Amino acid sequence: MLLANNIYFKRNNRKIINNVSLSLSDHKIIHLTGNNGAGKTTLLKIITNVLELQKGEIYWNGKNIKKNPFDFYKNVTFIMDHNTSNKSLTINENIFFWRKLFSSKRNNKEIDSILELLSLNHLQNTLISYLSYGEKRKLELSRLIIEQKKLWVLDEPYNGLDQSSINLVNHTLLNHMKLGGMIIFTSHFSPEIPNIENLYLDNHAHL
Amino acid sequence: MHTFNSIIALINREFKITYRNFSDILSIFLFFLLGIMIFVFSVGGNTKIFNEIGIGIIWTLLLLSNNLSLRKFYQDDFNDNSIILFHISGLSYEIISLIKMIVNWIFIQLPFFIIIPLGVLLLNIDISNFQIIFLSFLIGSTIITCIASISGSMNLLNNKNFAIGSLIIMILSIPVIIFSVSLINLADEFIKAQISILLGIMFFFLAITPWICAACIKLALQSK
Amino acid sequence: MKFLVNPNRFNNFSNIILKPLIYLSFTSLILGLIFSLYLSPNDYQQGSTVRIMYIHVPAAWLALLTFFIMTIYSIIGLSFKISFSYIVISAVAPIGATFTLICLITGSLWGKPMWGTWWVWDARLTSVAILFFLYLIIIFLKNSFTNVSIGEKVTAMFVIVGSINLPIIKFSVDWWNTLHQPASISKLSSPSIDPSMLRPLIIMTIAFTLIGLLVAIMRIKAEILLRKLG
Repeated sequence: MLLANNIYFKRNNRKIINNVSLSLSDHKIIHLTGNNGAGKTTLLKIITNVLELQKGEIYWNGKNIKKNPFDFYKNVTFIMDHNTSNKSLTINENIFFWRKLFSSKRNNKEIDSILELLSLNHLQNTLISYLSYGEKRKLELSRLIIEQKKLWVLDEPYNGLDQSSINLVNHTLLNHMKLGGMIIFTSHFSPEIPNIENLYLDNHAHL
Repeated sequence: MHTFNSIIALINREFKITYRNFSDILSIFLFFLLGIMIFVFSVGGNTKIFNEIGIGIIWTLLLLSNNLSLRKFYQDDFNDNSIILFHISGLSYEIISLIKMIVNWIFIQLPFFIIIPLGVLLLNIDISNFQIIFLSFLIGSTIITCIASISGSMNLLNNKNFAIGSLIIMILSIPVIIFSVSLINLADEFIKAQISILLGIMFFFLAITPWICAACIKLALQSK
Repeated sequence: MKFLVNPNRFNNFSNIILKPLIYLSFTSLILGLIFSLYLSPNDYQQGSTVRIMYIHVPAAWLALLTFFIMTIYSIIGLSFKISFSYIVISAVAPIGATFTLICLITGSLWGKPMWGTWWVWDARLTSVAILFFLYLIIIFLKNSFTNVSIGEKVTAMFVIVGSINLPIIKFSVDWWNTLHQPASISKLSSPSIDPSMLRPLIIMTIAFTLIGLLVAIMRIKAEILLRKLG
């Protein structure tokens, strides 16, 4: 259960987030929308403790995430605006790195089938620098399956994806929600997933 | 256990990336050797002078060559948000910067153990005692890695004045150069004392560098 | 003790001590100068040139003391997130730089008639020159960042890293007996300096400290006002 209370964040003397509160419980998806520059990415970074907020608190299962951030991180997968795959490594090397980094229990067979699902398995030994943007994005999203965490925080996950990949992502999100996970994501694109809570971030607060 | 896995994973990744981009590192060594050659040409035919100032030239070029490695420290991982990923996997920023420093030391400083004798050869310096040079370089290189890490992380913070990182490296390494270079010409009774001074400086830097780099990284993320 | 970290308490405290401080500092300066220039004896070796020491040595001590205070405030500011520390650091840095410059110039003027050279690269002079450059960088570092609050924190970090220079300067005189004189005032051994020379030295040190304090207080008050308006 994620709870954010009265978040206030300003940067360079500009108020970006002003008195925003939200809550996420199991089986719930929040779709965060707003105009460009409204602060959606900033809000996601605040929720995952990447940015330090000036006022307000964020609680995970009742505990303030500032007091013990690493306990909170164990439950979060954050897909950011940039792709974190390193261009000097191949797809396989990146995936094995993520697997070891997050101590994931996925074995090689499962990874192969994930890549096959994403239609990336023929590129397993290609350097990332040779991939297209959409392929890099799909690889980034595979982290969700590898890390196996409860809370998924996604910043513009559909960017650069073709229609079949979009369907795949929607299917995955729905599945995760059904199994008790929580998801919060930003997108200008409204996916066809039932039971989404839509939150609109205007230039200062919630609607 | 998880943290240990993450650390090993990160070290593996850094190793792989570094040796895939070995040409970056090679250019640092080439810079050093070319610098030596420039010094040789700039003093004309007077090669006897290198017996006096040769070690000083080598240390100076060492410093300037390390300037080139600044960008490799944090900038790439900061730009593509990988550094956030490392943090979320359970590693504190201090550990991340320590790992980066270790990798930098192994790939950039360690080869200098071979290249410095090469430089000594090229400059025709009369040295009977290589042990002292290696010892002073062992300690001095650690200090230089720490300083490079600090300026690399400070470089993350600004778009305005890019030379800041290089300035910081130069100013903070002056004490190191003073002590390391004078070590060669010192009489035996003072060598132990001077080495302990160098060790003191090294431990000071080892203690504060992870803390400062972590603080700079957090600040840089705050205003990205 | 709160006036050391809290701007409002500081303002109250400084308002009380400002007037007495002005009188005290100028009195001690005049007293010190009288003692240095008239009432102290000539050195049997150096003649009356030794009197430069009464400016040179206190300036050196103050230069080190200022950096030490900046280091303490940097540690406090970064660890306990007290923003008043950054005000103190940026207020006090030019004062330290001035003292260092005075020390370098008077040292140079003293060196020429005494040892025949304006400058030599021994360990102590070099470390003090480094100190001066450190001060310069500290003064300019804060404003060379796009975000000034980041600049302050980076400056504090730089002060902490640069503080390694302090023990080097302090002990460089013990470690090398080159051109510079060995330390003549030490708490552990009886001073090897005559009391009639010690007196003006101490008075000038007190005078410099008080003047430095005075300028620092005025600069800090100005900075606090500036931040309130901006």
